Amino acid sequence: MEILLNLKNQICSLGVPLYAAFEEIGTEGTGGLWSEIFLRCSQVMKEQRMDAGSAWKKAISENRGLLPLESSDWDSIDDFGELLGKSDRYNQEAVLDMARESIAVLEKKAEEAVRTKGKLYRNLGALCGAAVVILLI
Amino acid sequence: MWHERDGCERFDELISFYLPDSIKTAVRGIKREYLIELEELRIRAGQPLMGVFAGFDRFIGRDGFLSDNPQFGLIVSPKEVDNLFMLLCEHSVYAYQDDISRGFITLKGGHRAGICGTVIYEGNNIRGMKDISSVNIRFSRQIKDCARDVFGHIVRNKQDIYNTLILSPPRCGKTTLLRDLCRMVSSGTGTSFKGLRTAVIDERSELAASYRGVPQNDLGPRTDVLDGCRKSEGIEIMLRGMAPQVIVVDELGATRDPDAIKMAWNAGVRIIATAHAYGLDDFKRRLGIGQLAAKDGFERIILLGMDNGKRWVRVMDAYGNELSGLVKIDRLSDGIRGLYGIRDEAVGKAGRETACLIKTHGDPA
Repeated sequence: MEILLNLKNQICSLGVPLYAAFEEIGTEGTGGLWSEIFLRCSQVMKEQRMDAGSAWKKAISENRGLLPLESSDWDSIDDFGELLGKSDRYNQEAVLDMARESIAVLEKKAEEAVRTKGKLYRNLGALCGAAVVILLI
Repeated sequence: MWHERDGCERFDELISFYLPDSIKTAVRGIKREYLIELEELRIRAGQPLMGVFAGFDRFIGRDGFLSDNPQFGLIVSPKEVDNLFMLLCEHSVYAYQDDISRGFITLKGGHRAGICGTVIYEGNNIRGMKDISSVNIRFSRQIKDCARDVFGHIVRNKQDIYNTLILSPPRCGKTTLLRDLCRMVSSGTGTSFKGLRTAVIDERSELAASYRGVPQNDLGPRTDVLDGCRKSEGIEIMLRGMAPQVIVVDELGATRDPDAIKMAWNAGVRIIATAHAYGLDDFKRRLGIGQLAAKDGFERIILLGMDNGKRWVRVMDAYGNELSGLVKIDRLSDGIRGLYGIRDEAVGKAGRETACLIKTHGDPA
């Protein structure tokens, strides 16, 4: 979320080209693995004169194994760069707001999963504990 | 010619950075003797690729073959034009939206791409453009020392110059000459003339050709550049903040320009400016700005024109008295003469030259 806010500032307020905005975000290094992805994306855009959509997909595919996401989540992440850079500031703002919303949904899903699975593991732990006690008796 | 003077790297950079593959191949296939005369590359969706060589149009084939028959030209698809536009914008349209709404994008190396498409309005203002249909890449050329012959005429003494106005029809080299005069005024010429603090109001980003804030052309060590600013406002800003001794502006013409120029003169600042005109009388007839050539106005007038493929330069005082003989500079290389199979009379009939001749000397016929 913080990265997206930064990107919105770079694009909508400062009018920095995408490759430079990605580089800036990447070098700040506050986003963990995402910083690496933004840096790689910037590099691909600069060196291969690629649009943001293709460069983003390339950077993501190179780091796919390192991110603990489900396949349905990847679809949303893959399309993130598709509309970036293709319109004026006003429309880019709308694109970034949309991206923030879909990431918020992903975040909510992840939190839900943590809660559900956490409960499951807690119950599983208690059951295992009870089984060990029964066995020991 | 300009490649050799300014270095091929600027041109090569442009080709490899911006052009889609098919156009890149075609341009790289053009024979060197013609390529060095390439001024503009005109790319239109669904139309053949065209180049302007020393003022003359030629269609460019897939392998760089030049012809005046459009059938031999490489047809550029709408998708290629769209790709080109995105490459020119570095895949970041929003970063260039102000330029786009003005109709051109300044590129790395100082080149400029004019664009046409469907205009998007917001109220009464142009917000941008979509569905880009044409791109005209105009190659930047800084020809250092091209003003050497006229520079002596605009110097008043070791530390001062005359208010100078450069007049010519379009595409006769006004901006190129202005750029070099600016460089020479700012740099100085050793002991005979010390350099002056110079301010450039670069409304159309053509003089300095700033790319992301960095001037791509050499305008001298004492020059400050105000990029993309209207002349009338820019002159006021510079007078207030930068204390210049000389202000340089390109293409006078707006109704507010004369007041701004007079404001600078009242502050004791010299002006070097250009304007579209076919001669001094033509300029004097212009509404508003014409008064600047009257008494107490510009003290030196430089007239530029083209005649039989040769550029000529005249320098006059404010009363129209000639200070220099007619200086002719051969502009067409042997390569271009060969390409057109030109006799001198034929060259003279080319559009802009004829316009120039008729307006400055009367109809030659």
